[in-house]
Amino acid sequence: MKFRLSLDTAAVSLLLALAALVGFVIFIGEQAGVRVRVDLPEDGVVGPYQTITFTFSEAFDSEMASSLIFLDPVQEGYLEWTDTYTLRFTPVQAYQKGVTYRLLVDAGETASGGREVKQAQTWSFTVREPRVAYLLMQENRNSIWSVNVDGSDPRRLTDETIPIISFDAAQSGDFIIFTSPNENGGVDLWRVSREGGDSSMLLNCGFDRCTTPAVSPDETRIAYSREAAGPTPDIPFGSPRTWVLDLENGQDGPVYADQQILGYNPTWSPDSNKLASFDGLSDTIHLIDFQTGEHFLFASNTGGPVTWSPDSMKFLYTVYAQTESGGRSQVKLADLSINESVTYIGQKDTYDYSYYSIAWSPLAERAVLSLRVNDRQLTQALWVFNPAMLDGILVASDPEYTYNSPQWDPWGDRLIFQQFKLRGQYQPEIGLWQGTATEAVLLTQGIMPQWLP
Amino acid sequence: METTTTPRRLPRNLILLITLGILVLVASSMMPAGFFSWLWDRLNVFATVFLGIFVEAVPFLLLGTFASGLVEVFLDRDQMSRWVSNRPAAAAVSGAFMGMIFPVCECGVVPLTRRLFKKGLPLSAGISFLLAAPVLNPIVIFSTASAFGWGEMLFWRFAISLGIAVVTGLIFSVENDAGSILRPVLSAHEHDHDHAAPGASFLEKTRKALLITVDEFFDMGRYLILGSMLSAGLQTFIPQSALLAIGSGPILSVLVMLLLAILLSICSTVDSFVALGFVNTFSFGSILSFLVFGPMVDIKSVMMYVQVFKRRAVFYIVAIPFMMSLLTGLIFNYLIR
Repeated sequence: MKFRLSLDTAAVSLLLALAALVGFVIFIGEQAGVRVRVDLPEDGVVGPYQTITFTFSEAFDSEMASSLIFLDPVQEGYLEWTDTYTLRFTPVQAYQKGVTYRLLVDAGETASGGREVKQAQTWSFTVREPRVAYLLMQENRNSIWSVNVDGSDPRRLTDETIPIISFDAAQSGDFIIFTSPNENGGVDLWRVSREGGDSSMLLNCGFDRCTTPAVSPDETRIAYSREAAGPTPDIPFGSPRTWVLDLENGQDGPVYADQQILGYNPTWSPDSNKLASFDGLSDTIHLIDFQTGEHFLFASNTGGPVTWSPDSMKFLYTVYAQTESGGRSQVKLADLSINESVTYIGQKDTYDYSYYSIAWSPLAERAVLSLRVNDRQLTQALWVFNPAMLDGILVASDPEYTYNSPQWDPWGDRLIFQQFKLRGQYQPEIGLWQGTATEAVLLTQGIMPQWLP
Repeated sequence: METTTTPRRLPRNLILLITLGILVLVASSMMPAGFFSWLWDRLNVFATVFLGIFVEAVPFLLLGTFASGLVEVFLDRDQMSRWVSNRPAAAAVSGAFMGMIFPVCECGVVPLTRRLFKKGLPLSAGISFLLAAPVLNPIVIFSTASAFGWGEMLFWRFAISLGIAVVTGLIFSVENDAGSILRPVLSAHEHDHDHAAPGASFLEKTRKALLITVDEFFDMGRYLILGSMLSAGLQTFIPQSALLAIGSGPILSVLVMLLLAILLSICSTVDSFVALGFVNTFSFGSILSFLVFGPMVDIKSVMMYVQVFKRRAVFYIVAIPFMMSLLTGLIFNYLIR
C-alpha cells in the first residue's frame, strides 16, 4: 500500500517539530546564560583612547552589569550605556604604552530577576604606536599622509584628485576629518579612515565654506567654521560662524543663535562638553558649555589657539596688551570654576616674546609655548615648561628655524611641530622631540602635523 | 407587497431605536466623569490610526488588483505552465522569487495570488509567492537597506523570509486537490469578462483588465477596511507602550515583536523604518522576527487570506511562519547575538 502524506499530517508534523525546536533552543539558551560580546580588534592592538563596547545578549541593569566588568591594570574612565544592550567604556587618559591590559567580564546577574552571565570571560589588549598625519604638497595639491614616528612607512591617505585645505584627526586615531573645495566654490567636510584610500564626503556645504574642523574627543560631533556664500557669486562670503555637525543623528547647525557672534578655529575641551572659538569682530573667545548651557567670554585679540588643561576646567590663550614698556604678547590662564582669567606669562616682560602657539599636554604638569628667545631674533623657539612652576627648557631653538603648531602625543611624552628654515629655498618640515632626548629631530617634510594615535 | 410591509416595520424599528437611545442615555449617566472625553480621544486615535493603515495600504491593493487584472487578460494557463516548474521544490523557490517581477506588498499580493492560482499556478509556488513577495521585491530591498544599511539585517531578513516561504510552500505541495485549499469565490462580474476573446484588440484587453481591477479592488477592499479597523481598534485600546513594557528577555521580546507585527499591520515597504525605532529597545533577533513575520501575517492580510483560502489553510499559513519566525528570533537571541 502506498502511503500518501496529507496536508494536515505534513503541516501538523512541521508545527510539532518547530515547537520541539523552540523548546530545545530555549533549553540550550538558558543553559548558556547571558552572552557578552566585546568589540576589540582581532589582533588585540588598540588605539591609546580606544572605546570598548560591551554588547549583552539581553537587556541589563546598568549598575549590575557594570559591576561585572574589570580592567587590569586599572584605568580611569567612564562607563555609559548607549541602549539597554550596550555599555561603552571610554578612558579618561590614554592606556599605558607597553602594558598588556586584561579585561574581565565576571559571572553574575546582569539584571535583577534576570538571567546570569554563566562563565567569566577575559580579553587582552595592548596599545599601538601612534603615527603622525600631515599635509604634503605635490603638483600644487595637498594630500594627507601618515608616517611612523621613526620616519618610516610614509603612506598617502587621500587620493591625489582631492585637494585638502585642513584636517583634524580623531582622538582614537581611527579616522580623519578634512576639508576640500568643491565645484561651487564652497568647501565641504570629508572623512577618511586611518588606513586611507576610502575618502567619503561627510557634509556637502554647497556654496558655503566649511573650514577648520575639530573632532570632539568623544568623536560624536564635528565643530567647524562656516562662511555663508553671498547671494550672488560676486558678493564675498559672510563672516565665519561656529557650527556643529552631530555624527550620531546628522544634525547640523550653528552653535550660537545670535548672528552677531562669529567663530573661528573651534577647540573642544578634553571632556567634549565645552567648545571655544575665536570671534575676530569683537576680539573675544566665546566658550559654551553644552552640558550646562553656560556661555563664557574672554577678551583676546590674537586669534591664536586655545589649549585646555586635562581636567577641562582651565585653558591657556594669548593676548596682545599695551603695557608701560610697550606692546607685549601675554599668555592668559582662564579658570572656568571661578570664571576668571589672569595674566599667566608675560606680565613684566622686558621685551615682546611674541608668544603664540601653545599646547597643554595630557600630563597636567607639562605644556609647550612658542616664543622669541631674545629681542634681536625674529624666529620662534619651543619652550617646554611646567605650568605650575613656570620653569622649563628650550626643545627647539635653532635660530635658523622658526617653530610653531606643537602637538603632544597621547601620553605627553613626545612633541611634533612645524618648522620652517627662514633663509633660502626650503620646504616646510615636521620636527619631533622625544621627551628624553635633548635635541629635536627632523621627522619628514610637510605641514600641519597631527598625531594619529 | 413592499408598500404593505413598510408601515409594519417602521414602528418596530422606531421602538428599537428609542429603546437603544434610552439605554445609551442610562448607560452614559452611570459612566464616571471624563469617560466621554476619554472615549472621544480614543475615537480620534482610532480614526487616525485607521486612516494611517488604510491610506498606506490602498495604493498597494490597487497595484495588486491591477496586476491581477493584467494576469487574467494577458496570461493564459499554457504560459503559466511553461514558466513555473511542476516539481514542488523548484516551484516553491521560483514562487518565492516572483516578487522580483511583481513588486507587491502584503495587501496587493493576495488578489494577485488568487488570480495566479486560477491561471494554474501550483499551490507550492503560490503559497511561497504569497509569503515571500512582500519582502523579496526590489522596493522592500531598498527600503530595508536605507533603514538598516546593506548589512546583516537586510541579509537575514531576506534569507529567513525565503526559507519560511519555501518551506511553507513545500508543505502545501503535498496537497493535490487545490479545491480543498482554495475557496471557489469569484465576483459576479468576473464571469462576464473572464477571458478576453481570442484576437481581441490590446485596448479591449486593457479595458477588461481594468474592469477586473475595479471588481477585485472593491471585493478585496472590504476586507482591507475591516482588517484596518480591527488593527486600529486593537492599537487604540492596547497601547504599544504596554506591550513594550513587557517585552524584555529573549523569549518575551520576540513574542511581543511578533504580536506587534500582527497588530500594527504596517506595509512591508515601510516597516523597516518603524523597526528602526525599536533598535535601542529590542534585540536583533526580536526585530528580525518582526521584519520577517509582519509582511507575511497581519490582521488585514489574514482578513484577505480568509477570502481566498479555506480556514485550515489560513491556519497553516499563519501558524507555520509564526513558529518559524519565533524560532528565528530565539536562535538569534539565545545563540547568535
